[in-house]
Amino acid sequence: MTRHTDLGPGRDPQAGLHQAMAALSAAPPGGRGVTSDLSIDETLLLHSVGWEPVDLVFGVSWWSIPWGAWQWQTGEIAEASSAFAGAFAEAAQQMREECAQAGGSGVVGVEIEMRVAAHHISIELTGTAVRRVDHHQAGFEFISDLSARDFALLTRAGWWPLSLVVGASFVVAPRRTARQWAAQQGQNTELPHLTEALYLAREGAMARMQRAGSDAGADGVIGVRLREGPLGHSARIMQFVAVGTAVHLAAGSHRPIAPTMAVPLDDAERTFEAASLRSSR
Amino acid sequence: MTTPESAAGEGNLSEGPNETAEPDGGVPDGGVPDEVLPEAAARRLGHGAWSSALSVPDLATSLALGFEPAGYVQGFSVRQWRWIGYYGAGFSPAAGMGAMVGPRVGPGEYSEGWRCPHGFVAGEHRVYGYNFEQAWVERSWAEAWGAAYTRMIEEAEALGAHGVIGVTDDMHYLAGTGAAEFSIRGTAVVVPGAPRPSPPFSTFLAGQRLAKLIEAGYAPVGVVAALSSVQMFGYCITRLQLSGSGAGTWSGGAPGVGAIVQVGKAQRAARHLAREHLRRQLGGDALHGATVTEFEQEIGEGDLAVHCTIKGTRVRRFKDFDPLPEPEPVVRLR
Repeated sequence: MTRHTDLGPGRDPQAGLHQAMAALSAAPPGGRGVTSDLSIDETLLLHSVGWEPVDLVFGVSWWSIPWGAWQWQTGEIAEASSAFAGAFAEAAQQMREECAQAGGSGVVGVEIEMRVAAHHISIELTGTAVRRVDHHQAGFEFISDLSARDFALLTRAGWWPLSLVVGASFVVAPRRTARQWAAQQGQNTELPHLTEALYLAREGAMARMQRAGSDAGADGVIGVRLREGPLGHSARIMQFVAVGTAVHLAAGSHRPIAPTMAVPLDDAERTFEAASLRSSR
Repeated sequence: MTTPESAAGEGNLSEGPNETAEPDGGVPDGGVPDEVLPEAAARRLGHGAWSSALSVPDLATSLALGFEPAGYVQGFSVRQWRWIGYYGAGFSPAAGMGAMVGPRVGPGEYSEGWRCPHGFVAGEHRVYGYNFEQAWVERSWAEAWGAAYTRMIEEAEALGAHGVIGVTDDMHYLAGTGAAEFSIRGTAVVVPGAPRPSPPFSTFLAGQRLAKLIEAGYAPVGVVAALSSVQMFGYCITRLQLSGSGAGTWSGGAPGVGAIVQVGKAQRAARHLAREHLRRQLGGDALHGATVTEFEQEIGEGDLAVHCTIKGTRVRRFKDFDPLPEPEPVVRLR
């Protein structure tokens, strides 16, 4: 979606600028100021679909993982998986409460910071609470990590965001036997114990995320982002985290948005690397 | 030039331009008055070609909008710097059972306490835990940032500018000196024929984003920023949880898997304090395009300092929102 600011012939952008300069001489309006981390593009887009920012809102939760959880077992580490789920749920709940307190009906553009350490997991959420421009209150409606652009596009197509949903799984792979270790030395060969650990973590995380979507009454989960691979403090621990926005079809059926084709006339930016200037010898 | 002393303690870093508007901008005749600037800066700014940090597209858009660049203005403040270290009278965080008296905080400042549930005393056992706002760090940061900002604005004023656009700021440590450098810079601009606000406005935006902001009916008032600092001295339960030793009946009921309440509260308090410090600078205007940065330092076993900065452009509505037509989705063919 684009909207061009028309600064071309026929417009007088300077009139607006002079008006703006004059407004700076007036006294501040007073009252409680709105805070928002939205860009001007996002603010304009949100307004075009009937929403406006209210306040920056946060959710933060740290949960503990007991000593020994990673060391003395193989397979899924239930302590870590449930600490992640607990921390995420608590942070999301705080964000909902802050949004409601600020008079918002939803939160867009949530940034999610997740840290997994040996003895704790932290989830930190930052977003902008929004409300309807007509101030129609329908209670709390959604938390979403979708950008304002994606939110506008999604709702135009007849869908509605519900909540952030997450699934996480942490799996400790078994050690290789001495025979396996010896047989794999010096070869580029698959390490089945790690592959299997990754698959186990994947299934656990994806299933939890999809179950959370179903529990929220969603038809699907969009914008799923994954974090997978070994944890920093051990190569044998595979983590898999899936997070996305649960959505449901509010309009009865999907509404095609029929985008217009556009051919930009600006030249593609030319780039080169200094290495390409070297001779081929 | 405003000295650190004269800039210090300004509660509102971005006091909105007021009714002392002057008729027109433009560089004053006879160069830049050198009583407010270092001599060399006054000489440089008063003569020769203007300078700007704007990119070519931003410059083109700014010119189309009616801004004329006047000069690349900058403000600096170098400060001796530390993030932690003041505990208040009677508080000894290093002590186990000794921390019987809480930190001294001023009226209205955040503090919260926890007490050991175990009912016994041991040398390494932290009986009390505290979260408290480090107002002295917040004030130092506001003074340093405010001093750099004020000096940049003074340069803009000396150039007869209406405002400063494309502002960037930075804080970095000077190796081996225990000092930190705060810097703020941007391109001073003049709007010929428009009333000149005093002090000049400032904004992190430039180019098309600034054009869209104004077209949408918002006037940039000034860049605003706030830092919050919360120190957390963990009590025994928090320390046990952070070290992974929380499980077991001997932990006093702390679950092996469960919320680390004291840390969570310190983290939330830091964000809320930064938001409220910043809101006090808005005067009812709106904060646009905020960036939130949080960082923490481990200052001992089970102890943290949590800092949070929020920065953005304070904007004022000068006309009603023109309802936008519903945006038209396009597919860009490349």
